[in-house]
Amino acid sequence: MNVILVGMNHKTAPLEIRERLTLSCGEGLHPLEELLRVEAVQEALYLSTCNRVEVVARAGDVEEAVARVKAFILRHGNLDAAELEKCLYVHCGSDAVRHLFRVASSLDSMVMGEPQILGQMKDAYRDCVEQKASGIILNKLLHHAFRTAKRVRTETAIAGNAVSVSYAAVEMAKKILGSLEGRTVLLVGAGEMSELAARHLLKNGAGRIIVANRTYARAAQVAGEIQGTPVGFEQLEEKLQEADIVISSTGAAGYVITPPMVRTALRRRKNRLLFLIDIAVPRDVDPDTGRIENVFLFNIDDLQGVVDENVRNRHREAEKAEGIIGEEVLRFAEWYNTLEVVPTIVSLREKAESILRAELERSGSWLRGLGEEDRKNVEILAAQIINKILHDPVTGLKEESRSNGAMPYVAAIRKLFRLEGGEP
Amino acid sequence: MDTLFFKAALAAYFAATAGYLVSLVARRVVMARIATWILGLAVALHTVHFLEMCAERGLNVAVNLFEAVSFFAWIVSSAYLVFQLRTRTRVLGAIVAPFAVMLMMLASLGAEGTLAIPDALQGRLVPVHVTLSIIGEGLFALASLAGVMYCIQDRQIRRRRMGGLARYLPSLGDLDSINHAGLLWGFPLLTLGLIAGSVWAKTAWGGSQWVTDPKTLWSFAVWCFYAFLLHQRLAIGWKGRRIAVLSIAALVVLISAFIGVNFLSGVHRFT
Repeated sequence: MNVILVGMNHKTAPLEIRERLTLSCGEGLHPLEELLRVEAVQEALYLSTCNRVEVVARAGDVEEAVARVKAFILRHGNLDAAELEKCLYVHCGSDAVRHLFRVASSLDSMVMGEPQILGQMKDAYRDCVEQKASGIILNKLLHHAFRTAKRVRTETAIAGNAVSVSYAAVEMAKKILGSLEGRTVLLVGAGEMSELAARHLLKNGAGRIIVANRTYARAAQVAGEIQGTPVGFEQLEEKLQEADIVISSTGAAGYVITPPMVRTALRRRKNRLLFLIDIAVPRDVDPDTGRIENVFLFNIDDLQGVVDENVRNRHREAEKAEGIIGEEVLRFAEWYNTLEVVPTIVSLREKAESILRAELERSGSWLRGLGEEDRKNVEILAAQIINKILHDPVTGLKEESRSNGAMPYVAAIRKLFRLEGGEP
Repeated sequence: MDTLFFKAALAAYFAATAGYLVSLVARRVVMARIATWILGLAVALHTVHFLEMCAERGLNVAVNLFEAVSFFAWIVSSAYLVFQLRTRTRVLGAIVAPFAVMLMMLASLGAEGTLAIPDALQGRLVPVHVTLSIIGEGLFALASLAGVMYCIQDRQIRRRRMGGLARYLPSLGDLDSINHAGLLWGFPLLTLGLIAGSVWAKTAWGGSQWVTDPKTLWSFAVWCFYAFLLHQRLAIGWKGRRIAVLSIAALVVLISAFIGVNFLSGVHRFT
């Protein structure tokens, strides 16, 4: 298979090198144009994100193409050869296909299962099509990659659960409260993580955000950023009864939220479920609060536990995904191999048809003696005989090609039928 | 009575149960979604069975105990299908479907049982009493089944077992709202059913002997239990685990009233 893939990713190359490469390619350069000027490169795709740079190509001469693509990366990264060798990986044939499928399915991503890479790959492919850098092989390969990514996404839970603490908070809120539509979120104190979690909650349907802080000015400032309502600390008890989700992250030394406070609030809110998230260290919420019925208290370690569990789950799912990718690589290889016998099949048919044409011409004199209809019938009959005779060898060739064993047959057919060149 | 559709429904309930169990083991919500469609098919077949019955003998769909149990299964399943449209509780079917299968197996023991209504139970209000009561009790049963799953999920979350089952079970809020809806709709229906029964007993039998009949007493106990639950829920604001636990206890009382006590009462019973 003449597909090659040369690239580097976050695992093989440090940020500074990836950075240099991405920058130089951003400055009005046309990597595809440049790649296609290389004679050994017949089709090319250039994918560049903050975590990876990959060049996929259909090569005429594999070795030559690999060397030229390496040189291309070397030039643009301002790297020396030794550095480059350390960072680059080169895959050929099925390995290149597998790598591309893994990248598309987000198995090779820094955060496994994150969905952006597929979009980035689609953008790269769009560029590639617009600049007419793709041909039959890359078109098929990329579409196959997109299909594989979709299969992985639907058949495994690789993108299933939150792998950041703030998302884990949203996930838990949904597990406890059900729909977040119209829920009220109370931020006690403010910090980056609690703001982020609040934003995620808003995006997932939460209706209202209240920000409580010791200094009203700070509360107002944070509330302004996330369209919340600021309140002073003295209103905390009162607001506790309105909130469904409380995220606490003050710098206080003692407990800010205590069981009696929560019990009172709960009574006033008729025991509606209350989800308390304590991401402060030292803790803001008295751990005993979590024992109250209908109150669920998660601290930073609990949320991290959720994240760890989710990461483990993604890794389990990744094994399933590798299986799917294996299948798809095989399927692509089958298609590719049938491609190898296509020229032989075409010349076989051409030869048969030229014989037919020649013979009909030779017999022209007596054919003209027949009526119009009979003449047609004879032509049809001859064409049918040819098709019937060719049918079995052609199907046989295609079948053999799937298991990559067609070459001896191709050679034999070319020799026996004296197809041009005699050799494949 | 042709039992073709009954048998088909029983088979579909079985298939739905199998689907839910597979989804529990494989932890895939997709499987539960398929199982929910199969449960829908089961309910549809079961409905055809009841329509056939109605065409034959009017709205008398629960003449003997076995038919009553079958009707009970139909109510629980169809109410669940309606409620799960509003909440994301597809996996709750993993409790509802096996429950329906158990009832249906019990019902199939007498699928061709007696159809004679005793003389003492002839009257227009009797089918009204029976139908409304079973619908009310079916909704209660559904509320309780949601309570069972609530307790499981509550335990998982409190023990921070977020990996396996908890990821897959419905959210506490959704389960609680099914419990709420079941109590809220079941209560007026059962009340009307009991009133219909009392009015009829008063006029047909007269006297007060029927009041002390064991089944009447048990039914009244069930009614009181659920009335208490609904009151606590709406007026006092009991929610979540406490109501869930009490709902499970109420289900035990309900089932004993429905099936067990049937054999204690002389007249007031399904044959």
